[in-house]
Amino acid sequence: MTLKWLTGLTVVSLAVTVVLALVVAPADAVQGDAYRLMYLHVPTAWLAYLAFFVTAVASALWLWPRTRSTTWDLLAGASAEVGVIFTGLCLAMGSFWGRPIWGTWWEWDARVTTTAVLFFLYLGYLALRRTGVTAAERGKRCAIAALIAFADVPVVHFSVTWWETLHQDATVFNPKLDVHFEGFWMPFTLVFAVFAFTLLYATLVTARLQLAELEEGKEERELERAIERRVRVPAEQVPV
Amino acid sequence: MDHNWGYVAAGFTITFVTLAAYSGWLWQRLRRTRRSLADEGD
Repeated sequence: MTLKWLTGLTVVSLAVTVVLALVVAPADAVQGDAYRLMYLHVPTAWLAYLAFFVTAVASALWLWPRTRSTTWDLLAGASAEVGVIFTGLCLAMGSFWGRPIWGTWWEWDARVTTTAVLFFLYLGYLALRRTGVTAAERGKRCAIAALIAFADVPVVHFSVTWWETLHQDATVFNPKLDVHFEGFWMPFTLVFAVFAFTLLYATLVTARLQLAELEEGKEERELERAIERRVRVPAEQVPV
Repeated sequence: MDHNWGYVAAGFTITFVTLAAYSGWLWQRLRRTRRSLADEGD
């Protein structure tokens, strides 16, 4: 029931975001309408951070013997999968925004490069989740990998201040406060878009976690049932 | 000034098509798994 309500609220919020971003918010004085991609680029970047933070925390809770539970391992996997989608979209939207503003689809800039590294690190993490004979083995390998991969998140965030390459400074948490928003609708739309995409993240992770919990141990249960059926059949009826 | 609506339209389309495709795949798999587990219980 919670998932249904969350899904409904997410769909409405995303629809409002599209209207605000494409119709209500005014065009930028310098970038024209191209800046509207910010309403996708910033929320997806924020969710990449959030998703991998949740993966790291859940992995740490799995590694800690007192809090170890399969749910933490499954949550880490669910959040990483959704995070990879948001990171991929963030890179793609940055590329679509960069083409008209920077004049290039791709630049080996510090922020862009470290974000691409983040994307491939978590893609590797998802591949690692498919390995391992037992759930405990998988959990241990993946939890350690998730904590190592998370080290790239602060590097991505501070890359714009450490290296000062082409990508602009932080938009929201800007220490220099030199990012200019025009009027009310520009900042409001950005805050609303971040809210709507965070709801989407919560919805997708809830659904993905439910699926992972249902699928966990399914193969073992099927094998047990097959053995049970075989044992019940008299020896003369067993096909050779 | 060139307003670049083409890039904006492409960006919004790609984002929402990707998210809809992933959500559709997820919900379909969730429904199928729930149904197969319910069948197992019978």
